Amino acid sequence: MARLPREEWYDIARDVDWDLSYVDYDEVFPEWMSGTGKVPREAWAEWDEPYKVTYPEYVATQREKETGAYSVKAVLRKSRVFDQLDEGWKSVAKQHFGAVALVEDLAAYAELRMARFGLAPAWRNMAVFGALDETRHAQISLYFPHELLGRDPQYDWAHKAYHTSQWTVAAARATFDGMMMNPNVVDVAVQLPFTFETGFTNVQFVALAADALESGDINFANMISSIQTDEARHSQQGGPTLKILVEHDPRRAQWVIDKTFWVSARLFSVLTGPAMDYYTPLAMRKQSFKEFMLEWVAGQFADQLQDYGLKKPWYWDEFLAGLDTWHHGLHLGVWYWRPTVWWNPQGGVSPAERDWLREKYPDWEDRFGPIWDVIIGNINAGQAGLTLPATLPWLCSLCQLPVGTAGSPGNQRYPVRSYPLSYDGRTYHFCSRPCRQIWWEDRDTLHSPTVVDRVLAGEVQPPTVEGLLTWMGLTPEVRGTDAYGYRWARAYPPGDPGPAGDAGPAGDAGPAVTEPSNGGRPVPVNALFAGDFVTQLVTLQDTDTVDQAASRIAAQVVGRRVRSREAGLVVRLGGRVLPGELTVAAAGIGPLDSVDVSWDAGRVGER
Amino acid sequence: MSGRVGPVLRMSDDVDAIVAAIEDDNPGQQVTVVDRGAYTRVSGEGELRVTRASIERHLGREFEMRQFEELMSAFAGRIEMTSQEVRWQLGG
Ligand SMILES: [Fe+2]
Ligand SMILES: [Fe+2]
Repeated sequence: MARLPREEWYDIARDVDWDLSYVDYDEVFPEWMSGTGKVPREAWAEWDEPYKVTYPEYVATQREKETGAYSVKAVLRKSRVFDQLDEGWKSVAKQHFGAVALVEDLAAYAELRMARFGLAPAWRNMAVFGALDETRHAQISLYFPHELLGRDPQYDWAHKAYHTSQWTVAAARATFDGMMMNPNVVDVAVQLPFTFETGFTNVQFVALAADALESGDINFANMISSIQTDEARHSQQGGPTLKILVEHDPRRAQWVIDKTFWVSARLFSVLTGPAMDYYTPLAMRKQSFKEFMLEWVAGQFADQLQDYGLKKPWYWDEFLAGLDTWHHGLHLGVWYWRPTVWWNPQGGVSPAERDWLREKYPDWEDRFGPIWDVIIGNINAGQAGLTLPATLPWLCSLCQLPVGTAGSPGNQRYPVRSYPLSYDGRTYHFCSRPCRQIWWEDRDTLHSPTVVDRVLAGEVQPPTVEGLLTWMGLTPEVRGTDAYGYRWARAYPPGDPGPAGDAGPAGDAGPAVTEPSNGGRPVPVNALFAGDFVTQLVTLQDTDTVDQAASRIAAQVVGRRVRSREAGLVVRLGGRVLPGELTVAAAGIGPLDSVDVSWDAGRVGER
Repeated sequence: MSGRVGPVLRMSDDVDAIVAAIEDDNPGQQVTVVDRGAYTRVSGEGELRVTRASIERHLGREFEMRQFEELMSAFAGRIEMTSQEVRWQLGG
């Protein structure tokens, strides 16, 4: 029997809708969910998806995709492929499963919200396919790691991660709740399918597949690229929604894209950046993270923006500059705080890997080389304990990533510092001006307490690193260790780089995020030691002298990440030098203040 | 603005046939093919298309246009899909 071609009946079928007569339209499509704003309701009738598919076609295609993905898995199961995978590479997959599997599930709810509250029948129709897609993604991303559980307990975090408040999960949850769950569906369509799925997921799901295949992980490459074929279709809900929004409210369209792009870029710098430039074995790297980001995001996505009559976000230069630094700082942070993650980060700074980093990122050596040299020196001097955390980095109140990692050491333009904001009687710290501005504008839908906020609120007991690991759900057998057992560091000639000098007393005093009171009142501050790559939560006592406070802060950094020097220390609060003999209270240092400590060449030997 | 548009094909046995079909369907266009193993980026300037007829000719078997979705993990430009062809374009 001859069938009508799809285009001859499709538009009529998908536009089936009816006028409501028994209930109010506003009750069925309330503004807080449907979010039409300045767009007249009739305008949504123009919504036209570019990627047309019928239900029978959808089912047939998805069935073929699933058959493909699972049959590859079945074949490989009998092979020894998994045993031959590099430990660094395995961490890419472990990180991906934990960070992504249940976000796919969350995305199913976002699609369902559009399927219910979208203001055009065509849109609701497409969102139903989107919800079915995301359900498949969650299932496949849980099923693939499940069979590896018996080999390695870290795969358990594919399912467990989002049931914890582990810090990267808390960061991802804040970002995705703000993108998918909190806003109305017009904003969801612009944020999730348009900005996130056409801009960013391609880097994790298509670009990373290139590294995966090269690394021999055929299963993973096949799974993620299969998932992304669904995204290529349902991400097309973004375009038609954006087109209508741009026509009636271009300012809103631009803002929603700008804020989502920024937080997504921050998040991908901790997820995809280290995976591509450090964990993927050197010989298997197809391109650097920066090159992939330029190909997929800065190039392809920026074209798309212009095509819709929009501008590049106001912080575009800062974003581009960040491609040279953000993920290096975040990798250093994840590696240093490795017991706090569920995968084993590969240090990735052997002499050969370092040459590659210098070639791809000409400023890498100046920015990060000195810190890695201190770390390498400690490892090779048998002092690996000094490469483990005794405190917490301060976390940005928007992206929830360590403050400092939106800049880099020795970087005049984007230095390591906090961008604070006083609001409602307290100080909030941000990694960058854009994070601060976005939080300020949209704090009602974006605010979510960080792990540091929760420590400060007394939720983590005891407030030590061990207490924090337990609170974050990291049982001893899954806590991250160096993927190669420091093999990469041993490749340096003995004594080069040389020892970092004495570490401060906290180096052997045992971990303490906040220290026990010695009669004074605790004053938690956001402390930066000059030359470090992050700012940290350090708890001072109000009865400490400023000099004692300087030593407490130095103890977390000197000999650990910054080389020791024959020099005294100087403390600054808001740029003002504080006299060393005053007490913390008398010097005016209060809770949550930003305190800077640096070397003072004029005070040689006073330490 | 680069203005390059076209599909990104995931790894499969059919990549070569699809690329050949795209070349056939875009005479006069400089079709660029970048092979990164797990994906192959095919692009042209401003506009690119591929028809079902060309794909069937190069695959040597029947092909439904919906099946193109199984091969394409991303694309650049705006897409338009009918049962006979797929088109990618910018500035349209
Ligand atoms: Fe998905
Ligand atoms: Fe931030």
